[in-house]
Amino acid sequence: MAKLWAVAKREYLERVRSRWFVIATLLGPLMMTVLFLLPIYLRTRGMESAKASNIVILDATRTELGAAVAQSLGGGLQGDTSLAHVIRLAPSELAQAESSATRDVMAKRLDGYLVLDSLSSFGMSARYAGRNASTIPDMERIKRQVEQAVLINRLERAGFDADRVRSLSRVNLRLATERITETGRGGSGVGNIAVAFIASFVLYTLIVLYGQTILRGVVDEKNNRVAEVVVASVQPESLLAGKVLGVGSVALTQLAAWTASLALFVRFRTPILAWLGMPNAPIGLPGVGFLDIVMLLVFFVLGFILYAALFAAIGAMVSNEQDAQQAATPVTILIVMSAVFIQPVMLNPTSTTNKIISWIPFSAPILMPVRTSIVAVPWYEVALVMLGLIAACVVCLWIAARIYRVGILMYGKRPTLMEVARWIKYAR
Amino acid sequence: MAELALDIQSVVKRFAQHVAVRELTLQVPQGAVYGLLGPNGAGKTTTIRMILNIIMPDQGSIRVLGRPNTESKLLDRVGYLPEERGLYKKMQVRRLLRFLAELKGISGREADKRIGPWLERLTLKTPEKDWGLSKVDELSRGMQQKVQFIACLLHDPDLVILDEPFSGLDPINAQALKDTVIELKRRGKTILFSTHLMESAERMCDSVCIIARGEKVLDGSVEAVKSEHGIRHVAIAVANKSTDGVRSLLEDPRIVKSVDDQNRFFEVELADGANPQELLRRVVALGVPIERFELIQPSLHQIFLDRVGAKGVEAGITGHG
Repeated sequence: MAKLWAVAKREYLERVRSRWFVIATLLGPLMMTVLFLLPIYLRTRGMESAKASNIVILDATRTELGAAVAQSLGGGLQGDTSLAHVIRLAPSELAQAESSATRDVMAKRLDGYLVLDSLSSFGMSARYAGRNASTIPDMERIKRQVEQAVLINRLERAGFDADRVRSLSRVNLRLATERITETGRGGSGVGNIAVAFIASFVLYTLIVLYGQTILRGVVDEKNNRVAEVVVASVQPESLLAGKVLGVGSVALTQLAAWTASLALFVRFRTPILAWLGMPNAPIGLPGVGFLDIVMLLVFFVLGFILYAALFAAIGAMVSNEQDAQQAATPVTILIVMSAVFIQPVMLNPTSTTNKIISWIPFSAPILMPVRTSIVAVPWYEVALVMLGLIAACVVCLWIAARIYRVGILMYGKRPTLMEVARWIKYAR
Repeated sequence: MAELALDIQSVVKRFAQHVAVRELTLQVPQGAVYGLLGPNGAGKTTTIRMILNIIMPDQGSIRVLGRPNTESKLLDRVGYLPEERGLYKKMQVRRLLRFLAELKGISGREADKRIGPWLERLTLKTPEKDWGLSKVDELSRGMQQKVQFIACLLHDPDLVILDEPFSGLDPINAQALKDTVIELKRRGKTILFSTHLMESAERMCDSVCIIARGEKVLDGSVEAVKSEHGIRHVAIAVANKSTDGVRSLLEDPRIVKSVDDQNRFFEVELADGANPQELLRRVVALGVPIERFELIQPSLHQIFLDRVGAKGVEAGITGHG
């Protein structure tokens, strides 16, 4: 036990002291901050490009539709109240006006132009061209305003009072979302998706990162031939356990550092965002309880042990780094598959297929937290999945220990699957 | 007889394709310098790994310092220098040594106390430079070997096992190693080393065991082994121009079994039942000026070649099986 501790201590201290650990610990939050800020930043940008005064409405409807659209589009969101410029023209002049507007957009004198023709006045079609054409919120907004202007136009022609119609039809609905679980209301749905995404992403990153660290560590020990000195003093099982414990603690340290800096950022986001010149986006802080965090930790620890055992076994089978990467492919695929399912599970956490996938021990550590943070999962289901995961850990550790015991002193060509099977059968 | 430092009884180890060690029995008394000799692939490393409980024998028993070697903590009293040397390259030397000592049950603080004197003794720490504060991969190969050697002895083991300790050592480190072995013996420690270099074994060992193809060929004290082998060797040297006559004389199978032409003299193994006096008479009868005619004790090297022969050296089997 003391030796296991010595191994774990070495693995931990040597890695925490390394330059890479410091860099990753500092860069992690930076990356996460960027991930966090980028959508906000893009949204701000998106709003800027929608500045109505920078687009032109080419109105060939011979009605007041263009003016009405310009009116309801309003000014930009940046406090600019000037309206979009409306050019009224005959349908025959449209082609020429469009090509000149295109040139203006290309020369950045305009952001874009909206074409309203006879079909538009019937509410059938309109065209928009511009640099922000792929910005979904902008396009939604223009579409809505054209629809509304057509509607108002129709109502006016049906004899309703223009001003009344205008004031009655002005609706600006804001949809607030809230999640209801069996235990009651809790947090906003969007916030929970964010938590699910960040948690699963961080878990995935750490398991891949530190699983690979174990793999490299084992191959390195073999390559350096230091393994023989060490196993002459400790049982290979203790060496394996100490390694998993030590490297796992490094991962937990990193996780703690990242969580702390994320918490700090959320706490002080207003001054930070102001300093970056961005409007403060309201972050719907999701309700993450103590139990959620414990569950997340348990899944992380178990998932890490599972994959660490597999990576260690792979490391013991091969003699050099290139072979290691190749031999580790099946394990890598297992973990990447789990990551691939993050989004489907996030979008549809209650479908039977997604449920089953989230129960499989190899993907459970990453996908169960996704499900539990979006929908309410009964506690016994979580407990059963954890038990399954523990069982898988025990089996994998047992197999890994046997492969490790034989493989760590084997050099030369990579063993075939048959040989590995023999190792497992007759370890020592 | 003193208590045995090592008692191996009828040990067998099979691998998938071959038997690495068959029915090996050997005893090493406490305080001895013991040589485990054999060609590459004879099973030396496998035997050593079984002693250290790295691999388990299929049959037989191994007792180390009077106890079964599977007992926990027993192997803390054994020091091991493997043939394939290796250290954690990125670790600081002092931290590495402390770690390896901790694996042998020495506390970190106690290890720190012992590391300094060892570094000084092997000149890894001088007034100008303390290599103990460097990383392993900043050290030269020779220095790394010294570090490995310290790691093997830092916990003051009662039994020291050195697998091919002289391979790859420069003459200065080889001398330091030899001095240390002698000093360990003086302090009552037991040293087992494997080698295929018969000269160094002959100089240092009290007893030897020669194994080939996993089997014991012979064992015993060096004197006993030599006298048992009998004086069957004669060194003959004659004046330079007369060697041809001697050469044809030595082709007589009734007197001579084999000749080792050493250029400046012949080392002759006599045929069974042949009398060295008869050979001397014949050489004198040739009338050539004799510079040397000597009955010599066979060297371990010679005994090894006689008993193991070319057939004992199996090609293609390395010491890592």
